[in-house]
Amino acid sequence: MGQADADDVVTLTDVRKTYDLGGTVQALGGVSLSLPRGSYTAVMGPSGSGKSTLLNLVGGLDTPSEGRVTVGGRDLSTATEAERAAIRGSRVGFVFQTFNLMPRLTAVENVAMPLVFDGWDRSRRRERARELLSEVGLGNRLDHKPTELSGGQRQRVAIARALAPDPELILADEPTGNVDTETGERIMGLLGDLHADGHTILLVTHERRIAERAERIVHVRDGVVERTEELID
Amino acid sequence: MDPRESFTIAARSIRSHKLRSALTVIGVVIGIASVVAFATFGASVESEIVGSISDSGANNVYVLGQPADEEGFEQALQPVFTEYDIARLSEIPGVEAVIPRGSIPANSVTHRGETVSIQGATATTPAAVTNETLVAGRSFRSGADETVLNRAAAETTFEGNVTVGDEITVRRTDETWNLTVVGVVNGTAGELPVGNFGPQPQFYVPADPYYQAVVESPGANARQRAYPQLTVVAVPAETLAVTERVETYLREESDARHLAPSGVDLVARTSGDFAEQISDVIQQITRFVTGIAVIALVVGAIGIANIMLVSVTERTREIGIMKAVGARNRDVMELFLLEATLLGAVGAVLGLPLGLAVGWAATRYAEVGFAFAPYWSALAVLVGVLVGVVAGLYPAWRAARVDPIDALRYE
Ligand SMILES: Nc1ncnc2c1ncn2[C@@H]1O[C@H](COP(=O)(O)OP(=O)(O)OP(=O)(O)O)[C@@H](O)[C@H]1O
Ligand SMILES: [Mg+2]
Repeated sequence: MGQADADDVVTLTDVRKTYDLGGTVQALGGVSLSLPRGSYTAVMGPSGSGKSTLLNLVGGLDTPSEGRVTVGGRDLSTATEAERAAIRGSRVGFVFQTFNLMPRLTAVENVAMPLVFDGWDRSRRRERARELLSEVGLGNRLDHKPTELSGGQRQRVAIARALAPDPELILADEPTGNVDTETGERIMGLLGDLHADGHTILLVTHERRIAERAERIVHVRDGVVERTEELID
Repeated sequence: MDPRESFTIAARSIRSHKLRSALTVIGVVIGIASVVAFATFGASVESEIVGSISDSGANNVYVLGQPADEEGFEQALQPVFTEYDIARLSEIPGVEAVIPRGSIPANSVTHRGETVSIQGATATTPAAVTNETLVAGRSFRSGADETVLNRAAAETTFEGNVTVGDEITVRRTDETWNLTVVGVVNGTAGELPVGNFGPQPQFYVPADPYYQAVVESPGANARQRAYPQLTVVAVPAETLAVTERVETYLREESDARHLAPSGVDLVARTSGDFAEQISDVIQQITRFVTGIAVIALVVGAIGIANIMLVSVTERTREIGIMKAVGARNRDVMELFLLEATLLGAVGAVLGLPLGLAVGWAATRYAEVGFAFAPYWSALAVLVGVLVGVVAGLYPAWRAARVDPIDALRYE
């Protein structure tokens, strides 16, 4: 683990993240991890153990205090702000626990938004968004605003949005945290399909049952990787 | 990013807070409208006055004393141009006539038993009344007990019209003149162009014998009548040359240069000079007043900046989301800047016609012709847009710097 492999979509090398709030809070204390192309990894650990921090670093939303994060071979620590934005927009799809949809935009517009920043033209954006929404079973909710959708529907819009630029890497932070069990199943089913289609998936959860859908589970505690569990299935 | 999409997003965010956006825009509208209204009104007054000056005697050269500073205003009205000066000026090549003008204080005028109070009468020479200016009758003769009235005096001062052949009585503090009205005029030749607005009643009398301001003339070595103002009527083609010759005479040979109190400059002005001077003054006033209106515009800009800052705070989470899906700092900056610019531009576009309407109403009220000031209007719209840009810069910069992690955590 840790050494760069040409076929690793993501590598983390001794990544540390500390927050300075008078005293220093260490969120991550030296994490090395690599995600092979097409792999499905779950990160488990107690609350506050650094799971979200890890995910945000991989997605280029945050920068490490020390260590290296590479995504698709690109070292994020030397990337400019605009380059990191481009990586977030085209190589990575985020799915959040709280959905994080734009409240004033319709489902189609939300899904099409990454494509705006990725420079797609308008008609192609809409076409792609409609397609993806149909794929997640929301073909009949295209012009609904997030407030007009149920929690599970919102999460499916968010997944469609994450898929819009056809990223190789899907990052999901507790995607089932705010939906009921049945809807959670449906979301997990979608992630499974994406994995089957060849996407690399990094999933954060604290539920063993959810984590078991992955190929391996990385256990995190107090900002360090405690152990990695390979699941044979 | 796609400019059309930026526009859609910015416009949508403005529309989603209709009242708030409307109030902000009103601030800009008021600013732009006041600037445009004052500028338009100023330009209208200017073109009205300059227009009417240029209409009157283009070949007149006005000779008068001008105070070197504000203090000397009273002194500038002193009679310094003697009859010797008039005679010498008349000999200058290119001069057709020299018409003196002086005012005689008076208390009242009586016509057919009806008495009205007046400021005074104007003393001049028969040459001031020309065929072009006469409405009825003829000019007075020097040395005769005759008077010429302007239309305001003849038609609106007394209950009954004053007609040629009527008798009027002018009362002064120490004497009374009985005069025969021999003519009615519409203005007189050589009249200063600045006196033409809202015609006041005028009673013209021959300087001889009624004008009694007398000084010792150094040139003639005798006591002579002296006037505060002369008008040299030039051969039209030679007006400029005559102006120069008159100035040289005033500077080098005139009685007036000895008689003029210190602090008073003797000048020869054409009506073009007057027009220029007056439009300078009006432009300065317009600039000053418009400058005050600019304060309203600044307040409008502060309104935009304020509302944009509120908007950035409210939309912190949205900014985080946009960044998470690939928005660069400059995309975010662009969006907020565009939103502020739209507010400014809408304000300008609405403020311009409002300002023009108010300016137009003011010209109606002041009874001057409306003059559109295209330069100011274009500037107003530009300034409105600029106000939006400037007011939006700081909020947009704040928006661009939002940390996506913090923003997504933001509730
Ligand atoms: N912006 C921040 N400033 C200071 N401390 C932070 C910040 N973000 C995270 N932390 C700290 O870093 C540690 C890890 O946080 P993180 O959000 O990664 O935990 P987590 O494993 O995702 O927890 P949960 O399961 O509750 O979501 C926590 O102790 C948290 O207090
Ligand atoms: Mg978390």
